[in-house]
Amino acid sequence: MKKILLKFIVYSIVLLVSLELLVRVFHLHNERPERYADEYGVEKWVPNQAGYSVTGNRKQNVGEYRINDFGFNSVYNNYLPSKDSIEIAIVGDSFIEGFHQDYTNSISRKVEKKIPNVKVFEFGYAGYNLADQLNLMQAYNHLFKDIDRVVVYIRFTDDLITGEYKLSNRLSLNTPLNKLLKRSKLIVYAKDIGFFDPIKEKIAAVVNFSKGVSGDIHKKKNNDSLYLENFKKLVNFYNYNKEKNILLVDYSLCSQEFLNYLKVNDFRTIDFNADFKKDNIPKTLIYDQHWNDAGREIIADRIAEYIKNENLSIR
Amino acid sequence: MLFNSIDFVIFLPIVFILYWFVLNKNLRVQNFLLVVASYVFYGWWDWRFLSLIIFSTIVDYTLGILLEKEENEKKRKLYLWTSIGINLGFLGFFKYYNFFVDSFVEAFTFFGQEIKVETLYIILPVGISFYTFQTLSYTIDVYKRNLEPTRKIVAFAAFVSFFPQLVAGPIERASNLLPQILQKRKLNYCQSKDGLRLILWGLFKKVVIADSLSPIVNDIFANYETHSSPVLIMGAVFFAFQIYGDFSGYSDIAIGTAKLFGIELMSNFKFPYLSRNIGEFWRRWHISLSTWFRDYLYIPLGGSKQSKAIGIRNIFIIFLVSGFWHGANWTFIFWGLFHALLFLPSFLLGTNRKYKNDASLSSFNILKVFSNVYNTLLTFILVTIGWVFFRSNTLTDSFAYLKIIFTDFSVENYIHPNGYRIIDYFLLLLFFLVYEYIIRNNERNPIAFKNRYLRLAMYILLVFLMLLFYDDGVDRSFIYFQF
Repeated sequence: MKKILLKFIVYSIVLLVSLELLVRVFHLHNERPERYADEYGVEKWVPNQAGYSVTGNRKQNVGEYRINDFGFNSVYNNYLPSKDSIEIAIVGDSFIEGFHQDYTNSISRKVEKKIPNVKVFEFGYAGYNLADQLNLMQAYNHLFKDIDRVVVYIRFTDDLITGEYKLSNRLSLNTPLNKLLKRSKLIVYAKDIGFFDPIKEKIAAVVNFSKGVSGDIHKKKNNDSLYLENFKKLVNFYNYNKEKNILLVDYSLCSQEFLNYLKVNDFRTIDFNADFKKDNIPKTLIYDQHWNDAGREIIADRIAEYIKNENLSIR
Repeated sequence: MLFNSIDFVIFLPIVFILYWFVLNKNLRVQNFLLVVASYVFYGWWDWRFLSLIIFSTIVDYTLGILLEKEENEKKRKLYLWTSIGINLGFLGFFKYYNFFVDSFVEAFTFFGQEIKVETLYIILPVGISFYTFQTLSYTIDVYKRNLEPTRKIVAFAAFVSFFPQLVAGPIERASNLLPQILQKRKLNYCQSKDGLRLILWGLFKKVVIADSLSPIVNDIFANYETHSSPVLIMGAVFFAFQIYGDFSGYSDIAIGTAKLFGIELMSNFKFPYLSRNIGEFWRRWHISLSTWFRDYLYIPLGGSKQSKAIGIRNIFIIFLVSGFWHGANWTFIFWGLFHALLFLPSFLLGTNRKYKNDASLSSFNILKVFSNVYNTLLTFILVTIGWVFFRSNTLTDSFAYLKIIFTDFSVENYIHPNGYRIIDYFLLLLFFLVYEYIIRNNERNPIAFKNRYLRLAMYILLVFLMLLFYDDGVDRSFIYFQF
């Protein structure tokens, strides 16, 4: 038995070290920049970081990112709106952040190629909800006031879970243990492909069982009314500018009640649902719900089309 | 409980430690642990169906003893048929009741009679086809006086429910498994090492080959009308490897796990896609079931020893029954019929036993090499056509699928809804085939290289491939659980 156990341990260690090396050599792992909260209490990426974001197994999607001085992924070093040109901002979560593509091929760059003489600034950050987005716009009002149009991307099912801004607990994930675990690229890769999910689910099931929680823990409540209430609260609190801001939404995810509210209250919107369902070409990444290049092209098309129709002129 | 689940990862070491280091002094206690562990393993899925296994165990244990004592042939036959009736009765009810009701209604409707018979909502108990055949073999062997029945009910219960092979085989013979359970076992380093290697190889076949091909196969078979021949051929070939990876992977893990407990199970697969004719394929595919049918159906019916006509009849019977064993669907029956038709020419020409158990394609004679490659490819193509019947939902679908394969040769760029990179799977299958050829004569020890560094490299490669092809979104259950 001793022999088996000893060999098993030795082989396991050699195996883990080899896998760690292989993951590093083939760069299968994802790289994530560091987060921080700036002087305005806005959560962003620590400026001036660069790396490669890998999504899915077998490195099936790789994107190079570059965090600028402002703390967002962009080709621009900084966001300096000028009165001599037209500027558009796109604010949103990971879909806009675009770690799933090279930063040189972002939605903003695609829009810029479709509308000459327009600069598009990105304010995308994974996990942002509408409260985060409106808080950012208010905190940097001195910047946003000079931007001609702001496209605000929201996912009805995810981004309206709160009606007030709170600094997220994502920053507290930077614990020493987490930082240590992140140093193992094998762990980072295995986590990203969902290798640990069954373990997490098992632990959650045991914890729920011990707490006496029964039933389907995955069953979601219908929160449509709550989401609408949160939306109303946020747009009122932050004095949402209906003239300048345009909501980018997937109508198929929204409740009818919400869509009616947008229409009755003259919110400007861009819907991309119909284009996403037009053909069988995948619009999202493998193993991931984020938009692939085809999906991003559609988003850029819709934004460009909308902006073109406005015939914006330089102030 | 699935072999490829976190539950099993926790379960196996606990049972292993209890088995070898806590309860190893007394064989009866050790066997009792095996029974309890097996019942937990099975009950993890649905504890209510444990009652079926327990009932079947008690019936066959009792009848075995009665069969041994009884000298009156009529009474012995009655005991035998009681066992067959009860075991096949359960199987028939749970697996075939709705099929027979539906077919009965359809037949009457065909002849213009409308009848109304209700089908029932019946859950098929996992593994019922496997343990039913295992217990039946025991009673039949005892009836034929080929085997002495055991009076140790715990050992018998362990034989019926031995967890590594309980739900998807190999279908063990009492003459092989029972004596091992009745004997004191010792922890053997080499046996355990071989067991772990087989588990690794089985996991690779399941996680990498079967699970990664599954979403592509599902998509192609679900939307076959929208695709042309090349894509449908790819779907059928991928399914051939999916089902092989899935089922032989399960068997390898079962055999490997049994080795950890000091028990040797029979081989269930011997590189079937290296077969050079259908006869050889059936000596390499699901061996425990093929030999079961051979020993308990084909030979009692007269086998091939009598006239050619009886031999042909028997071949059709065993292939049709084998198809029907897989499930209550005409697609499986037709699959059996298709294989009977493929087998028939070599049976008539007497070439069905031409190739014995060496899978070597190589030879010093170049013509023989070409002939072997040609025969292997032809056999694989025919078997793959058969898989289309097996995989399709209905017979109509399978014929429509094959019709497109043989008529629509337009070139199409296949894109899976998830956007999988298809070239990866072809490279994977190429690696798999080459490796299978390298280890072609050693199905029980697939990583048996003499050089320890080569072995280590293989362990690393297999686990690395598991990491590369691990797909969080696929259904990880085994295909043969439904049978």
